[in-house]
Amino acid sequence: MIFQEIPLIPGGASRVVCFSSGKGGVGKTSVAINLGLALVEKGRKVLLVDGDLGLANVDVMLGLTVRTTIRDVLERGDDPMQAVVFPEPDFGVLPASSGVPEMVNLGPEDHDQLAGVFGSIAKAFEYVLIDTAAGIGPSVLWLNSLADYNTVVLNPDPAALTDAYALIKVLHREYRREIFHLLVNLVRDEREGIQVCEGLAKVVRKFLGISLEYLGSVPRDPEVIRAVREQVPFVRQRPGCRAAGAVRKLADSLEAWACLPGGKGESGQNYA
Amino acid sequence: MEKGLHLAVQCPVGKQDCPLGAELVRLRQECARLAEMVDTDSLTGLHNYRHFLRALDREMERTRRTGLPTALIMIDLDHFKNVNDTYGHETGNEVLCATGALWKGNIRKIDTLCRYGGEEFGVILPGTRLHRAVRTAERLRRVLGDSPVDLGGRSLFLTASFGVDVFEAGDDDSIQAFVERVDQFLLAAKAEGRNRVCSSTAAAEPEPTELSQEERRALLGDST
Repeated sequence: MIFQEIPLIPGGASRVVCFSSGKGGVGKTSVAINLGLALVEKGRKVLLVDGDLGLANVDVMLGLTVRTTIRDVLERGDDPMQAVVFPEPDFGVLPASSGVPEMVNLGPEDHDQLAGVFGSIAKAFEYVLIDTAAGIGPSVLWLNSLADYNTVVLNPDPAALTDAYALIKVLHREYRREIFHLLVNLVRDEREGIQVCEGLAKVVRKFLGISLEYLGSVPRDPEVIRAVREQVPFVRQRPGCRAAGAVRKLADSLEAWACLPGGKGESGQNYA
Repeated sequence: MEKGLHLAVQCPVGKQDCPLGAELVRLRQECARLAEMVDTDSLTGLHNYRHFLRALDREMERTRRTGLPTALIMIDLDHFKNVNDTYGHETGNEVLCATGALWKGNIRKIDTLCRYGGEEFGVILPGTRLHRAVRTAERLRRVLGDSPVDLGGRSLFLTASFGVDVFEAGDDDSIQAFVERVDQFLLAAKAEGRNRVCSSTAAAEPEPTELSQEERRALLGDST
């Protein structure tokens, strides 16, 4: 665990990006981690929050040693910044706990406290990426309500498509979210990603009356599987692989949206 | 005061038939009785206005902390003045008691039924969304209409008007403001002809989020 004094970003407001999927196993956590690291390559300070509050994933995928979790912060009042782990100097991870069912059903008081925790830590980062649990449970929905940018991750699988639509529907109907960004993982190629997005966007427009923004896609890549097994992010392990290139393009898209000052490589590409 | 507490009194010096012990038991029983009276409407045996305010305050605070809404139903018996004028106040009191007992048997254990005052009642429903509270109000309305009061061989049919609304975690109403909000729906029920339930338009079943067959077909490629 590496501690680091984090200076406040002068005058900046963090951009909060939430990654949810509906269906589990679409590769949401892997994408969130690698996208975070791609943003760090652009000179950004990034915090990745493991929003799967009772079944931590992020620390496992990064092979991190965790001593303090979000639960410890909530229950013992531990200093939130002491809970942040830094796999790299500008990339912090706020870990969740594992095997704690009550963390999945937090009430408004806990949510208020957690929002305060996020707010206090977020000041030190330009991006706060929240990787939620799968499904449409209360904490998934609440974390999405905090976000500036709701990203729905899916793959071309019909079940993932249906669950992604269900997630969008619930967030739109019950939380009045109007704008969703789609990220299609495990595609053959970009064309398949666009087709999946267009198909879903058509249904969303017809039944919910809102539009979807296409953030981009990440191709199926055997290098990713190898990197996941080795608990190393693929943008670091295999920086030249197709998936790493795709994630860097996603980072460009996010940067174009966020319009934060500074950073590197601000070309941005519009995938909407 | 806990029931049976008086049984725990023992003379400190071990004397049998201790007069002080007996007096202590009597005082405890009297305290328990008075404590109950403070919160109870002496006519109907329901909770009274004082208890209503305390219970509502507690449930609204629980809502703020847990996120589960508190519903409130305010009820007013229709044309009750006519009952008193026609049959006398004694009969009117019997009607109030019978109505209270009827409704008490038609709410959940966790719900609080109070005599708010006169012929007005309030029902506090913890952890209850609006559409369920409206269903409860409809049930109370129906059961009242189906249960005439027996006046020595004659049947007196009653109706009531109902106002329903919920207090949710994000609301910042005071108790009085919340009651006033629900009372407005009660007044609307009266104005619209009585014997009905009025609530906000959101009381229809919440917009469903469950996917319809049409949506599923559209997602999986059988587009319409």
